[in-house]
Amino acid sequence: MISRKLISGNEAIAYGALAAGVKVVTGYPGTPSTETVAMLLKEDIPETKVEWSVNEKVAFEVAAGAALLGQRALCTMKMSGLNVAYDSLIGIAYSGCKGGLVIYVADDPGVSAGMCEQDTRGFAAMSDMPMLEPATVQECHDLTKYAFTLSETIGSPVFVRSVTSVAQSHGACEIAPRVIPPETAVPMERDITKYTKAGSVICINQHKRLIASLAQAQNQLEADGFDKLSLGKEGGVGILTVGVVNSYLPEAFHAVQPYGIVPEEITTLKLVHTIPFAEEKIKACIRHCSVLVVAEELEPHLENKVIQLCYQLGKSVKIIGKNDHTFSRSGYYEASQLIKGLFAAFAMELPEALQKKNNGAEKHCAARPISVCAGCPHRGTYMAINQAIANLHYKKDEVIVTGDIGCTILGMSAPFNTLWTEVAMGASTPLAQGFYYAGVQTPVISTIGDSTFFHAGITGIINAIQHGIPLTAIIMDNEWTAMTGMQVNPGTDIRCQKEGWKQLDIEKIVESLGVTALYVVDPYDLRTTTEAIEKSIQQDGVSVVLARRQCAIQAARRKITYPKVSVNSEKCTSCKVCIRKTGCPALELANGKVVINATQCNGCGICSQVCKFGAIETASV
Amino acid sequence: MNTNFFDIYIVGVGGQGVLTIADIFTHTAFEHDVPVNYFPTKGMAQRGGFVKAQLRIGREGTGPDIPEGGADLIISMEISETLKALKYLKPGGEAFVYENRWEPTDVMLGTAPYPALAAVAEETAKAGGVLHVLRASSLPEYQGKPVRDNIYILGALMRHTALKKIFTEEEIAKSIREKWPKGAETNLYAFAEGLKANVRA
Repeated sequence: MISRKLISGNEAIAYGALAAGVKVVTGYPGTPSTETVAMLLKEDIPETKVEWSVNEKVAFEVAAGAALLGQRALCTMKMSGLNVAYDSLIGIAYSGCKGGLVIYVADDPGVSAGMCEQDTRGFAAMSDMPMLEPATVQECHDLTKYAFTLSETIGSPVFVRSVTSVAQSHGACEIAPRVIPPETAVPMERDITKYTKAGSVICINQHKRLIASLAQAQNQLEADGFDKLSLGKEGGVGILTVGVVNSYLPEAFHAVQPYGIVPEEITTLKLVHTIPFAEEKIKACIRHCSVLVVAEELEPHLENKVIQLCYQLGKSVKIIGKNDHTFSRSGYYEASQLIKGLFAAFAMELPEALQKKNNGAEKHCAARPISVCAGCPHRGTYMAINQAIANLHYKKDEVIVTGDIGCTILGMSAPFNTLWTEVAMGASTPLAQGFYYAGVQTPVISTIGDSTFFHAGITGIINAIQHGIPLTAIIMDNEWTAMTGMQVNPGTDIRCQKEGWKQLDIEKIVESLGVTALYVVDPYDLRTTTEAIEKSIQQDGVSVVLARRQCAIQAARRKITYPKVSVNSEKCTSCKVCIRKTGCPALELANGKVVINATQCNGCGICSQVCKFGAIETASV
Repeated sequence: MNTNFFDIYIVGVGGQGVLTIADIFTHTAFEHDVPVNYFPTKGMAQRGGFVKAQLRIGREGTGPDIPEGGADLIISMEISETLKALKYLKPGGEAFVYENRWEPTDVMLGTAPYPALAAVAEETAKAGGVLHVLRASSLPEYQGKPVRDNIYILGALMRHTALKKIFTEEEIAKSIREKWPKGAETNLYAFAEGLKANVRA
């Protein structure tokens, strides 16, 4: 039975996969894609294997394995994750798959989460793979379910791509009932011409098969009628939209109508995919119209195709899009872009009432730099790094400290200002090695979180160890993949792992790599952490500081409590050093005196360690 | 409930319960089969960072983002954060501000400025909006404990803004009961007190 629920786009993707009888779901957390796997991990669905994998490449390979044996599999990631998974992805695209294999990837036009604003449709074009682009929560469900069928029809993996505003939107969704996947797999044929890349003939044949499979997808999508073409006035204006941009069309038409633009006269083509190109319907628009608006977020993939088809058809059509600079290649779109494009198409001035009137009120807003939470163990590590650098008589701008992805990067901000760089998962240590090779005369330090260490950090550390690089790698282990909303990783407490899963110990891993200078410290203890970093910096070869303490948010959820901390107002001189050094949101000023906000404070005690007057007191246990 | 198009832009700071307010409206619309799209953005910080939510009511299959100058109502849970939302306010729309200061560290240390409420009023007027201000210090107590401010704000919103043309007080009260069956009594008290709260221009 169909049920109607209020859910997010990411959850709708999970439900769509369940309705398709998905057997395996893997992924690596990444905003804005995380909730698909997160939701399924909470469901009681023993017939479907669900996991957070160690990274996106591994997640994809696991899913692909299932699909090679005829099962349906889903793999999820954010756009940056696709860069990691791509090596295997293109290999499987060449081989093809038996069961439906769907890769869900979420882009972030407008950058709400902080990463590159890349358009993953480029990957679909590069790898000849169909990419479905839902515009609404309902389409997330429907197109994911359909993607499995399409994948099996063409024998190749299929992308579902959303953007932040679709993935994170919540709305009503009609959910199809779950289909239980088969318990056992179909036997796999041993076919090295399909499943290996041994030799030029094999590779070229696989490439030809892949190209043919995309053409087949194009026909299938045409036949299944997801793209909506509505022809307006002949020789008039047309507008082509794709994905989330489709959903702004009614709003834009509503806005332009009072100015003499008649929506019924406008040709519209609403596409649920850019790749493969809906050539027949695009050509119909070109033949029918004299002006075409092409509105798509980020790169002009669709627009460039329209221009190419115009050339092919020998028809000169005025194109309003990015090539004529009407639209931007950066940022998310809403109705305003469509309104602007429509007025440009009709060669009309944008009316005063529809022009954006931003009075710049925002510039008077109090700056709110992103920082770590009250009680965050990373606070202690950044402060200890800064202190160790000072104790060894270096100036702060003499020692490069590289950052990595996740909560650990928050050390880039005030009051710590510790980190210099952020590149990609695991890049901190190799980058530091490069700085050493470049001839930097002062110590180099890299920092990385626990999940990032497992994901892609470990290889960079191995590389530095092998080549005898004198650097300090600081692993900030808070037990959780925290930035994306607390997911388990290989290092998470065994009690929080699913039944049958294991916990891996970073300390033992690092030891086994042959690191002799390994210091395991508690970042809530500033003195020992600082000393360990100082010693570490003075070692030859790779030294590792493992700063361990559970994420404050998770500790609170798991009812782990620390002794209460309070300010002795008689001893407090209001010097505010505690606020300045820690930047802890639990420290507040009331009538010029420092007070501790008891609802925010978790009792980490870092502030008490920087108070020279002993005014911040910890209750005895 | 009424099914006119109604777009709400909500801003505040992480930890204030910004998303709870949006959640109640979304739930209420959903329960009455009214099209609704709720798009929260939490940014990178867990607590103390900028949080916004966009709520579009009455539009079937609508896009999630409200254009600049398009919101019928702005709800701000923090004085300074109001300024980030004002460009989205429709001329003639309403800006509802909870008079609460959540000071960033630099402001606390006196090394960075914080806008006065008068500046917010001035910017709201420039945007052609109508301002409503709810004092934060007037939070009522239930059995000796101050009530949750976001539910109190919900009451004031229902009495003083155009939301009363969209939802009835009974519909919102029902959603509050459904969301927190255990704490219903306290929360309904907070809501009722909010309905009686003094809101000034």
